[in-house]
Amino acid sequence: MSTAQELATVRKRTWGRADQAVRIGPRSAVVLALASAAGLMMFVWPLLVRVEPQSMQHGPDAPFVFIGILPILIIVVLAELSEGGMDSKALAMLGVLSAVNAALRPLGAGTAGIETVFFMLVLSGRVFGAGFGFVLGCTSLFASALLTAGVGPWLPFQMMCSAWIGMGAGLLPRRVTGKAEIAMLVAYGIVVAYVFGFLMNLWFWPFITGAEVPYHDGHISYVPGDPVLENLHRFAVFTLLTSTAGWDTGRAITNTVAILVLGPAVLATLRRAARRASYGRKPTFGE
Amino acid sequence: MGAGSPRARAAAYFLPRDLHPGAWWVWTLGLAVAASRTTNPWLLLTIVAVVCHVVVVRRGEAPWAMAFRIYLVLGATIVALRVGFRLVFGGAEGSTIVLRLPEIPLPAWAAGIRLFGDVSAESLLGGLYDGLRLATMVICLGAGNALANPKRLLKAMPPALYEIGTAVTVALSVFPQLAESVLRVRQARKLRGGTGGRRFHALRTIVIPVLEDALDRSLRLAASMDSRGYGRSGTARPRARFTTGLLMIVGLGGVCVGIYATLDGSTPRFLALPVLLAGLAVALAGFRLAGRRVRRTRYRPDRWRAAELVVAASGVAVAAALFLTSGVDPTNLNPSLTALSWPLLSWPPLAGVLLGVLPAFLTPPPEPTDNADVADAAEKVTA
Repeated sequence: MSTAQELATVRKRTWGRADQAVRIGPRSAVVLALASAAGLMMFVWPLLVRVEPQSMQHGPDAPFVFIGILPILIIVVLAELSEGGMDSKALAMLGVLSAVNAALRPLGAGTAGIETVFFMLVLSGRVFGAGFGFVLGCTSLFASALLTAGVGPWLPFQMMCSAWIGMGAGLLPRRVTGKAEIAMLVAYGIVVAYVFGFLMNLWFWPFITGAEVPYHDGHISYVPGDPVLENLHRFAVFTLLTSTAGWDTGRAITNTVAILVLGPAVLATLRRAARRASYGRKPTFGE
Repeated sequence: MGAGSPRARAAAYFLPRDLHPGAWWVWTLGLAVAASRTTNPWLLLTIVAVVCHVVVVRRGEAPWAMAFRIYLVLGATIVALRVGFRLVFGGAEGSTIVLRLPEIPLPAWAAGIRLFGDVSAESLLGGLYDGLRLATMVICLGAGNALANPKRLLKAMPPALYEIGTAVTVALSVFPQLAESVLRVRQARKLRGGTGGRRFHALRTIVIPVLEDALDRSLRLAASMDSRGYGRSGTARPRARFTTGLLMIVGLGGVCVGIYATLDGSTPRFLALPVLLAGLAVALAGFRLAGRRVRRTRYRPDRWRAAELVVAASGVAVAAALFLTSGVDPTNLNPSLTALSWPLLSWPPLAGVLLGVLPAFLTPPPEPTDNADVADAAEKVTA
């Protein structure tokens, strides 16, 4: 009987304790909020001013955005370190997971939106917390860009998007466990696939002219000086028509399949590593 | 050993010993950089052949050295995936259609995605060249993991990294450990029997144990080094630690910006080389400062001797050769994908790549490990 019961408890997989996820401290919360606000501005500023079309989108400002991101990453790490959200073993995991992500990205070849970098980001952000996910998003995109010759003015923006993906995964409700957790992560993976496509479209859209598609007659180009909301509306139509059903859906499918197949194993492994490394737990003696 | 006859000196030089792991990593990274400079399949295959030959001749018998074939499989997977995706999702960029597959019609709003349909030679070759380059780089990294002893690499780390010792230990040891764990877990499965079974079951019985074993063992190594006092800040004053930390972080930031600006052609040039060099200088200054503070002794330190210099020089020479010859024959270094032609090899880059095979002949063979001795002894006993 006991064996059967044991088996039953084993069968009811929880893949580690989800409620163990790293708590986010006030200092980290402030830093992440400020960084996200600044990050959002770097995407939407072309809507607020009049920009001229140019062949190299964001060419002039991208390097400075990149220079701006680096200190933000260091501040996030320092804030997390000082609040016990990260320790030296978490830093080691950050290095290892960045390398894993950098190695995963080329596997997908980037055709038809098959991006193999995001599912690992979602899973690690979920286990190690929002600050960790934020930093991991940036480091893994930078490392993989070096491997795949993907360095260009788009890189800082991709880094910011991935940082948000990792951070959001760390902010998901902590009480959800077991199959519900996997379902939640799959849903999150699908949402971020479309959000990533939306933001990366916004990166180039204001700088191109005469955007139109054969199956829709209507104005979907950026109009310099128009109110922000009208431009945003046109942009939403543009994104819906050009990429939502195509590459973004490919990305969503990849995320779903990867999280369903590998999610439980990876979650369990990462949680075990996190527990053994006992994040933020002070040792106690004589109990 | 000192002033013997040339013959005795050569014998001493070729005495079996393990080379400094840093030398192997320099050689490996040189070859990887060379691979990143070209998409010519012949050159890439030559690099793979060179790497395989050196690994087979000069690796020890440690588990991480035996795991080299995992990296070969990974490389083959990358190539197959890249070509396969081109086949499935619209490979029609180009005019030379080599395969006509029925296309699954998708509505017009599924912009940018095609399922099957005509496959052109150009897009297949694009996937092949790209995948091959990536696979070569992965195989080069695998060679580094196979040839360099990760534990001795830890020992040879500059003292400046002492304070983040735990992080560095885990980061350096987990990948060799991963390969080792694959072998351990597979062996255990074989011994248990019943390796058949459903595929997802197999996934669960291999992937989870491998990941957990690798992480566990590298964390355990870090913990044991930690408990022996490795990675303690020692007697340094907080102010000095702050200064060195700041120097290293600012330097690393400068290096990142420099690399970014170098690779992205559209950034202003003053951000590229000057910032890269300045970042390197600041980081090195931080390294020196931090290294001077740490006082520790090493037991039988690994030294750079002539053989190590030969290995490192051959790796650097390969990388340098591909940078120097890129102006000589650029069309064959990166074969064109618009006007299809048979990729040709020219002598300068080929000779450059072949320099990488020198360590197979000009270095001493690896020291036979204790395990091998034990196995030999066991065989003798049973015989």
